[in-house]
Amino acid sequence: MSREVKGYTLPVGPQHPLYVEAENLMVTVDGETITNVEVNIGYIHRGIEELMQRRNYLQNIFLSERICGICSGIHSVTYCQMVENLLGIDIPDRAKFIRTIVLELERLHSHLLFLGIMGYEMGLDTLFMYAWKDREHVMDMLEKISGNRVNYAMPAIGGVRRDIKNPESFIRKLELLSKRSDYYLNLFKKDRVIRARTRGVGVLTHKKAREYGIVGPVARASGIVHDMRKNSPYAAYEFSGLQGRWRVVTEGYGDVQARVLVKIRELKEAVRILKYALLNMPKGQLKVAAPLAVKPAEAVSRTEAPRGELIYYGISNGSDTPERIRIRTPSYTNIMCLKPILEGQQLADLPVIVGSIDPCFSCTDRVTLVEERTGEQKTVDKNYFRRMRE
Amino acid sequence: MIQEIFNIIVYPGLLFTVVLSLVYSGILRKLAARMQSRIGPPVWQPFLDIIKLFGKEEITPEQAKPGFGFWPFVAFASILIAALLTPVAGMVSLDSGNFIVLIYFLVFSPACLYLAGLASSNPYAVVGSIRGLVQMFSYEIIFVVSLVVPMLFVNSLEPLVINNYQLGSGWIASSFPLAAAAFLVAVLAKLELPPFHTPEAHQEIVSGYYTEYSGFRLALIEMTHIVKIFVLLSLAVAVFFGGSGDPLIFIIKTLALLILLSVIRVVLARFRIDHVLKFCWILGVIALIDLIRVLMV
Repeated sequence: MSREVKGYTLPVGPQHPLYVEAENLMVTVDGETITNVEVNIGYIHRGIEELMQRRNYLQNIFLSERICGICSGIHSVTYCQMVENLLGIDIPDRAKFIRTIVLELERLHSHLLFLGIMGYEMGLDTLFMYAWKDREHVMDMLEKISGNRVNYAMPAIGGVRRDIKNPESFIRKLELLSKRSDYYLNLFKKDRVIRARTRGVGVLTHKKAREYGIVGPVARASGIVHDMRKNSPYAAYEFSGLQGRWRVVTEGYGDVQARVLVKIRELKEAVRILKYALLNMPKGQLKVAAPLAVKPAEAVSRTEAPRGELIYYGISNGSDTPERIRIRTPSYTNIMCLKPILEGQQLADLPVIVGSIDPCFSCTDRVTLVEERTGEQKTVDKNYFRRMRE
Repeated sequence: MIQEIFNIIVYPGLLFTVVLSLVYSGILRKLAARMQSRIGPPVWQPFLDIIKLFGKEEITPEQAKPGFGFWPFVAFASILIAALLTPVAGMVSLDSGNFIVLIYFLVFSPACLYLAGLASSNPYAVVGSIRGLVQMFSYEIIFVVSLVVPMLFVNSLEPLVINNYQLGSGWIASSFPLAAAAFLVAVLAKLELPPFHTPEAHQEIVSGYYTEYSGFRLALIEMTHIVKIFVLLSLAVAVFFGGSGDPLIFIIKTLALLILLSVIRVVLARFRIDHVLKFCWILGVIALIDLIRVLMV
């Protein structure tokens, strides 16, 4: 930065209690006020896109699942949809519903996790414990459905791998979660200390959100009506019966409180979707046959991950491995808005603001590197990773 | 003579204070854990923590300023002296002090810790220390203002006299509830318990002023915090909550206050430093009302 900055620079990350993952924010502080922020990402780059080009389509399902620990379901579903688009096949309706159920359960657990993290960032450990206790119900449901708590391995190319038995048995827990989200909504609206810490803090205006191309709940908190589940429906969201059951949640102020409220209200919407989907699952087969090799084609798949729009783009070349896969994750776009919303804020608000973006770094780190000193951007080619391996 | 030495070293002096403080700290942790619906560590966990820390390797940063190794000792020593001056169950181990000395030592101890933070030349520690010092400006005033109320009311500078006065003629907290409430908030702030844990805000500045400390000196800093809980609770009992004549009443009363503290600790989020200032100044005005009342009596 050429601008002269006063005060001293605090390195927030790569190792800092604020994050679970490794990223770096160079925060220049003048007293308690943040005057400058540098967002440095790329500490946990794993070369996933390159790895995908070396594995066949079936192996890639499991690789894509491991891009992110929290939104593992949505990654594999989006990947499978992309391959299905390449192949031009349509999957059975029951499979679509099962995918939707897993995705919405994942949204529930991701949002509850976020809520807990927000409590922790505010120094309110009790909220963290409560939210994560409620999250356990969701994890139990996911475990019952898929046998796993984190990587569900549900989707397959052309459908899903497992059926959901006794869908009615989940309703009781979902109602409990709906009640709990009312409690959290009330907490964030009424509690005076929480309100003082969140209201008017880290405001992202509608205009700035558009400028930075912000997606997901962060954009919706700034008043942008953007949700891939409505904009370009996929899986069971294509069915009008389900579409009529929920609406896109938006808030106007774009501050931390708005971001939290959007997520809490989305919990209730997710419960509504889940209730409908569980009780109205169509009968039929789970999977259609899909060939191993894919004819040369190009396809895109867009979905709404818990953190926003997720895009998979792929090119096939006739073999059983993809020619190129490009992944654009929501956190990657959202993390860029940290700079404008952090500047001028108090240092004490930094964790709350960073937490409210709900960044997920492990899916953020892609192949574009930015040279810190010169600001020069370069894209890494295959040979770079070959060299790294040697 | 032997009686006096026994008073200082065993009961109600150093040994009793340190052991009971560790137990209280364990109870505080256990209560908070149960309220947060988790199991929590056993009550004797602080003993294990401190013993473990004593045996750990100590690292001094290269850029640490002189005093880095020195301040934790002073902080611990001054909180121990404050403990000796505080009435415990109707007894004072060191009867050559008064309130003024006690207040000095209670301020001196955290001030030493903030100096230790400044001496460690770590940006997190420096920010933590500055926050701590700013916070002191806010709560020390209400602490002193509310403490002056019983002093003027009983017309004595001896904590023990106030303690014994209440044994005869009821709780001072019942006649001056505002001062008592302000005092409790100041105790919470002095202990840096939530919502006043800004100087060691884990998410922003790692461990605040003691980020660079490890091993023996970290144990001393932890002990300073732990003993401070006990000192301030027994002071609160002695000056506002009816005093105590025998150990059983003393333990019951301090435990009740400890439960109150842990409830507050569990339900509130962290204040920002400007919130702390605003909040404490309002409380200062509330405490002043009682001060004016006591002056008019």
